[in-house]
Amino acid sequence: MSENKFEQVSSLVDNFQPDSALLDELIEQQESSDTWQRYHLIGDVMRDEQQTVSLLPLDFSAQIADAIAQEPTVFAPKHNQQSKIGLVDAYIQVKAQVKAQVKAKVVQFARPFGQVAIAASVAAVMVVGVQQNVAQNESVVPSQTIQTMPFGGVASPVSLNYQTDDVQSKKQAYVEQQRRFKALLSDHQQQIKLSSIATTQSDTEQQEKAEDPRK
Amino acid sequence: MKLLSHFILLIYVNFSALALAQEQQSQQPEQIEKTAKVSLERLSQALQQRNFSTSFVVVKNNQAEPYHWFHGVTQDGIELEILALLNGPRRDKLRKGNIVSYIEPELPPYSLTSEQISGPIPAIFSRDISTLETSYDFISVGRSRVLGRAAQLIRIVSKDQHRYGHWVWLDQETDLLLKLAMITNKGQLLEQVQFTHLDITENPAESLKQLLGSELPKIIDVPDNYQNESLSWQVNWMPKGFTRLQANRHRIPITKQAVEFMLFNDGLVDVSVYVGKSDAQQRTVEYVMDGATVILNQVVDGIEVSVVGKIPASTAQLIANSVTFNANPNP
Repeated sequence: MSENKFEQVSSLVDNFQPDSALLDELIEQQESSDTWQRYHLIGDVMRDEQQTVSLLPLDFSAQIADAIAQEPTVFAPKHNQQSKIGLVDAYIQVKAQVKAQVKAKVVQFARPFGQVAIAASVAAVMVVGVQQNVAQNESVVPSQTIQTMPFGGVASPVSLNYQTDDVQSKKQAYVEQQRRFKALLSDHQQQIKLSSIATTQSDTEQQEKAEDPRK
Repeated sequence: MKLLSHFILLIYVNFSALALAQEQQSQQPEQIEKTAKVSLERLSQALQQRNFSTSFVVVKNNQAEPYHWFHGVTQDGIELEILALLNGPRRDKLRKGNIVSYIEPELPPYSLTSEQISGPIPAIFSRDISTLETSYDFISVGRSRVLGRAAQLIRIVSKDQHRYGHWVWLDQETDLLLKLAMITNKGQLLEQVQFTHLDITENPAESLKQLLGSELPKIIDVPDNYQNESLSWQVNWMPKGFTRLQANRHRIPITKQAVEFMLFNDGLVDVSVYVGKSDAQQRTVEYVMDGATVILNQVVDGIEVSVVGKIPASTAQLIANSVTFNANPNP
């Protein structure tokens, strides 16, 4: 049904007097009379009239609970067409009712909502973008532990009997190794500082072969 | 027909490349080397004489370390220098003439009698560059744009395969450093120093004037035998050009492990060799890379040998393997 028809039904609900030909046409069509009914229902709900509330199947959870209760407990994943249909039917029924009751008015809002949605999604993209930027910057910062590389490929376990302790001892060995390397690196840098005193003195003793300890 | 035109184009390109190569060859190699050396000498002069304040970033291990670097010369000719790490706990290096102070989280502040700050920029750059010529060649490669300035690229290339190359970008206008990269023989970038700001001023920066007025921490004395203790082992192989600067016994601060230690230097890079007793009887060779710095460690017959320095792992391995022990250890 066209939007125009909805409008006409709507104006009828609002006691607007249309010409009789149009009225006949609207009565003829099942869809328009459904709409008529729905609009009145919506109006009743909005005016909070008690008797209409009973018409609305508000307690969906009861229906869903019934459907679930009917469904046998399945321990092994096995298709049970019957119960599935029961559940799906209940779902479709509920969905259709809600849809029917809500759709009509929503249509009018749809366009502005669409625009808002676009704006919101653009904003969301921007937020996500900014967050990604921050994340990228941070990825430069975190102090990476020094990565070890075994010299000749991967170290192989010494014995198969050690398998249970293997992970633990490996982890410990790794921590120990990292500590050792860090200690060596910082000491190396410290020694370079101290050596700068010596540089001027030992510049003179140019040795080709590096080592010749004094005895 | 199209194929033919492609073919002709290919030949043309080949010929022009050939012509270019010949042109380059026709320039005498010595001439190129001389200009490269002159540029490096100018860099050394500029680093000693200019008043500058700069910022740079050391990029290694997927990490960036930002620094501030100030340098100035007073009217009395005293060199002032501040090198400060900007991230994390304070690590400042201050220099007033021939006193260098280190402010670090691990130790109380101290000063040393020295004319150079040890930092990410090799100290040799502000000294006599010609001492490097025994181990390295200087090659002027070309011009490019770095830090928005016209820069000349000079490669400091090792004469053997046992060291990394240093690529240096120098400002054409001020002769100062704009970028420094450490690169393997295969052209892989390991570590680089990128300047992000360079200001040359008439007078020393304000912070340097404050440094001049402030009192530096106490100078610590390094015992005489610290540099030349006799040890019961020796390193039998080092790349050509390395000299021994230190030989001593000390404890490594973090692990409290007692080690015997030697430090070698070829002018540009430092290599440490550590020898000590280990709890383990044998441990296969392990090494890690921190930027261009390799840390190699192995245990043979209960003796732990470690090599640390900005050298390829293969070189570190050769050095570690060349360590031999005297038959009769000194009493």
